[in-house]
Amino acid sequence: MNSAHLLEDNTSKEQLKPRKKQSNFRKNWKLLIFIIPTIVYIFIFAYLPMYGVVIAFQDFAPGDDMLSLNANWVGFANFTRFFNEFRFKQLIVNTFMLSILGFIVGFPLPIIVALLLNSLKSKKASNIFQRIFYAPHFISVVVMAGMLYLFFGEYGLVNNIVRALGGSGTSYFLKASMFRPLFIFSGNWQDFGWSSIIYLAALAGVDPHLHEAAIVDGASRVRRIWSIDLPAILPTVAVMLILSIGNLMSVGHEKVLLMQTGANISVSEIISTFVYKIGIGGGQYGYATAIGLFNSVINVVLLVIANLSTRKLTGNSIW
Amino acid sequence: MKNKLLVGLTALLCLTGCQTTTSKISIDIDEVGYQWEDTDAPVIREKGAVSFDVIAPKNALADNYADMKVLNDIYDETYVKINWRNMSETSYATRKNLIMANKNEHPDAIYHAGFTDKDIIQYSSRKVIIPLDPYFDKMPNLTRILDKRPDVRKVLTAPDGHIYSLPKVEEMNLLPYPNLLFLNKVWVTDLINSGKIDFLTVADLKDGLNLTLEQYRTILTHFKANDMNGNGRDDELPLSFVYQNWQGNQSDLYAAFGIPENVDHMTLINGQVTFTATSDAWKDATNYLSGWVYEGLIDKEVFSHTQDAFLAKGKASNQRLGSFYWWESETVVTNPQDYIVLNPLIGPNGKQQIGVANNHEITRGEFVVFAKAPNPEIMLTHFDRFYDPMWSAQINYGPIGIVYEEELDANGKLVQKEIPAGLTADELRLKNAPLGLLYLSEEEWENTVNMEPRAVLRLARLAKHAVPYVIEGATPIPNITFTMTEINALATIQSDVIDYIYEQQTLWLLNGGPTDAQFNTFKTTLENIGLSQMINIYQTAYERFTA
Amino acid sequence: MVEAVKMRKRRHWRKDTIGDRIYYIFTWFILILLAAIVIYPLYFIVIASISNPDAIFNGEVYFYPLKITFDGYKRLFDEPLIWSGYLNTIIYTVFGTAFNLLLTIPAGWALSRKNLPFRRVITWFMVITMFFGGGLIPYYLLVAKLNLVDNPLSMIILGGVSVWNVFVVKSYFTENIPSELLEAAQIDGCGEFRSFWHVVLPLAKPIIAVMVLFYAVGHWNSYFDALIFLSDEKYFPLQLVLRDILITAEVTSQSGGSAETIIEQAKIANQIKYSSIIVSSIPILVFYPLVQKFFKAGFLVGSFK
Repeated sequence: MNSAHLLEDNTSKEQLKPRKKQSNFRKNWKLLIFIIPTIVYIFIFAYLPMYGVVIAFQDFAPGDDMLSLNANWVGFANFTRFFNEFRFKQLIVNTFMLSILGFIVGFPLPIIVALLLNSLKSKKASNIFQRIFYAPHFISVVVMAGMLYLFFGEYGLVNNIVRALGGSGTSYFLKASMFRPLFIFSGNWQDFGWSSIIYLAALAGVDPHLHEAAIVDGASRVRRIWSIDLPAILPTVAVMLILSIGNLMSVGHEKVLLMQTGANISVSEIISTFVYKIGIGGGQYGYATAIGLFNSVINVVLLVIANLSTRKLTGNSIW
Repeated sequence: MKNKLLVGLTALLCLTGCQTTTSKISIDIDEVGYQWEDTDAPVIREKGAVSFDVIAPKNALADNYADMKVLNDIYDETYVKINWRNMSETSYATRKNLIMANKNEHPDAIYHAGFTDKDIIQYSSRKVIIPLDPYFDKMPNLTRILDKRPDVRKVLTAPDGHIYSLPKVEEMNLLPYPNLLFLNKVWVTDLINSGKIDFLTVADLKDGLNLTLEQYRTILTHFKANDMNGNGRDDELPLSFVYQNWQGNQSDLYAAFGIPENVDHMTLINGQVTFTATSDAWKDATNYLSGWVYEGLIDKEVFSHTQDAFLAKGKASNQRLGSFYWWESETVVTNPQDYIVLNPLIGPNGKQQIGVANNHEITRGEFVVFAKAPNPEIMLTHFDRFYDPMWSAQINYGPIGIVYEEELDANGKLVQKEIPAGLTADELRLKNAPLGLLYLSEEEWENTVNMEPRAVLRLARLAKHAVPYVIEGATPIPNITFTMTEINALATIQSDVIDYIYEQQTLWLLNGGPTDAQFNTFKTTLENIGLSQMINIYQTAYERFTA
Repeated sequence: MVEAVKMRKRRHWRKDTIGDRIYYIFTWFILILLAAIVIYPLYFIVIASISNPDAIFNGEVYFYPLKITFDGYKRLFDEPLIWSGYLNTIIYTVFGTAFNLLLTIPAGWALSRKNLPFRRVITWFMVITMFFGGGLIPYYLLVAKLNLVDNPLSMIILGGVSVWNVFVVKSYFTENIPSELLEAAQIDGCGEFRSFWHVVLPLAKPIIAVMVLFYAVGHWNSYFDALIFLSDEKYFPLQLVLRDILITAEVTSQSGGSAETIIEQAKIANQIKYSSIIVSSIPILVFYPLVQKFFKAGFLVGSFK
């Protein structure tokens, strides 16, 4: 059984000569039909609107014609304005820290949970646990933040318990140092169950004969997980890893804004909250687009780095 | 299956077909019998012969405007049909830009447009919205108001001298005074009776009590240290409010130190724009108050809780609030009769002073008309009716027949009907009143409609416990207009300034006030962000306004 | 088949080693701990949905409901749009997910085949869209041009494919469909379409189940597209209706609301906060077990026969 085959094996790349390419096409054109509708769809809904990126280089008001030569072109002014922003460094650092820390904690957890659940003898128990674990996924952001204030507020449940046990309690919302832990912990709490689903599905594809054979050979449960389950989900893990890294700098603004107080602005003001505030604050469309573009470029750079590293380490990459 | 999909998609693409470009079809105003002079008679001869498309965001609890009695009643009077296109406020907040971007979707007008000054300048210079002042001669009600009130006209006038939006005026003289300090007199009585407090007698505990900061602090300390509500739990909140909220905020605590503080940290003293957060008194106030926070005298959650969370705190099974800032007690606590109103606290300089808030009672940008609208004069005459006192009252509170009785009282004023069971006054109002274009000022409160009882109560309290104590010469910054250059400069500077102060102030109040060195750094940073520039812009704009 | 049964029986007789037993104790401990951390807040939501909001804010409701009130639910179900919202959401979810599957599964399959012409180009083509977009305004203008604004069809067509999901499907096929299987089918005379239909799809049940789940839940929870593209209330999906009531507290007084009205709205929003979660997620929670059935182990077992 070949593992890790989703990714291209680039170690033996050959340059297809034009003649070979043509015959490849003639032999396999039918395969294209499977993907043409998707390509058309993506072209219409993702590529056609992409010209909007030019707004980043304009002083734009909705209703202006973006593509005309008479539009208010300002070159890189929006970008320089962002780089000179009072909080520029803070925004980058905060966004990065929030996402990388969240990633480090939040990436392995669903995998481990999936492995554990899959290893249970009782499928019924596994199912019950699954259902419990993914339920938090459906709690909306607004309610989630409300509950966090309730449980972790000055007089919330957690502080009450701590004080009852003799401690002095912590200001989770009024201390900058507690913002990231609270944000990340609650995010993982909410998502680990849901994120484990994809790994559970991958594990479902494992041939039970492999396990039977391993048992016969005297392998322990742990040993079996290590040598059968883990390799089986490694390709899924690899895909999710690369895709997640590409999204690293894209922490959304809603939950952060709800959890933001004057005391934690220094760590909680991230790129997306900043952009949101400009948006409602004063219709600075060009500026907001420029920042978004900048953000995307960083994401691409991260993705390329992630892919190159995977290629160097394992000889596989996403293309 | 895949083929069918392809065909479907191509068909979709073909639907792009003809773009509906809206062209102006002018109506012959003589043919429809257009008149504007008689403000009680129909505007056109035939009911419904002329109609306009108006987008109007509304909140979720309001009825659709097509079903609202008030609006239909006005239609019955004017015969001009308005095709209301409602959407939720949240939807509008996102869609406003999209609607402006999509020329095909431009309506004839937007009600509750929420156009900022930047929007107005932007879109008027692009000729997307039209100036309205050329049509004022067809709007008798509004003209009457503007003649009486040149200050309203000034608020509406854009830098290019034209007026692009219609005003909303609701002057109860309440907004500049957003804070009243309420104290739980039952708790204080307990303290007096048990001998813990000796500088007060029970007889002193009525509205208008004067306390120094130190006396008040003593009371708060006792609140904290004792089980005032008798439930065995340490859940008493000696003082609570909502930090940096537009009302019920911490400004009066700062004002006790002699600064005209409000949440913008900016006000007018004798016509000069004055910034408060860079003064030494502000530094001293922050230092002093951080002591209160440290001792637990101020509910720490003031820095994190929302308005509604704060309001819930006064409604616990056992009362927790020792004192609080809000502008009335009835909505905050379940036992308002147990609370007295304090006069502003006596500061270290021996004076009782408060500042004023810059909340505006005259707003613009509420209603704009698009260039594509045919015969805007007909539509504007229709909306002019909204400024008739009788209609303004109903637009604001709800129609005759649902909220008000058919019969006026002896003074010719509207009489409130009994509220149906199961609804609060606010719910009824939200459901039936569109709010928006109206003019309610002194004359109207006297002759047409009564203010809500709670507003009357509030006014009475403010007159006694707030207004007399305003720092001499302090006035709110009126709703001045800025030029585009000024707006662009302010866009960056102002938000950064406010953000920075917010952050520093919170940190100091929570952790200990600024040392002189820290305060100097604070001032320098503000300068670097552009504070002086910001103050100059405001001063220039203000002088332009009053010229 | 008979062999598999025999093997299963044999496994039951085999005792666990000590190592195994420690492992299971450890595993159960962790899982129960996690479950407890997850269950308590869920339990809280249930009791909060029938408690008085003021009591909740004051920390009086943690382990059992207080001042029990069904106002939260009553107000929701009194709202006529909730019912049409339910119906609309179901329609959008069913048809939208079907459309999603059509665009995702075949595409993932094609990408997983090494012999797909222009494979690298197509992959890049898709990856780029994950990072760069033109922003909301051009997107809106495009949708408007396609006559999809104020059109319920938009809820089914928009968001038709997630590139992320295509790659996940691709990975599944790459890993789980051995080339020998395909070759066997082709030797038997199956072309591309037949081998996809008869050989690949049956084996793809777990990943189809996952995609159904992801897309269906995506549709169920979505509100943003509806927020911008739908004006007529009768087409509103459930989440939009709920959100309109829930978020009113956050928006500044745009529609000329005064202080009291804003506070009133916030009060109502707080009332339905918790009951809205329950109302909107019950159907999905019921739906998941049906999907779970497809995560059965050993789907490939039968394929070799």
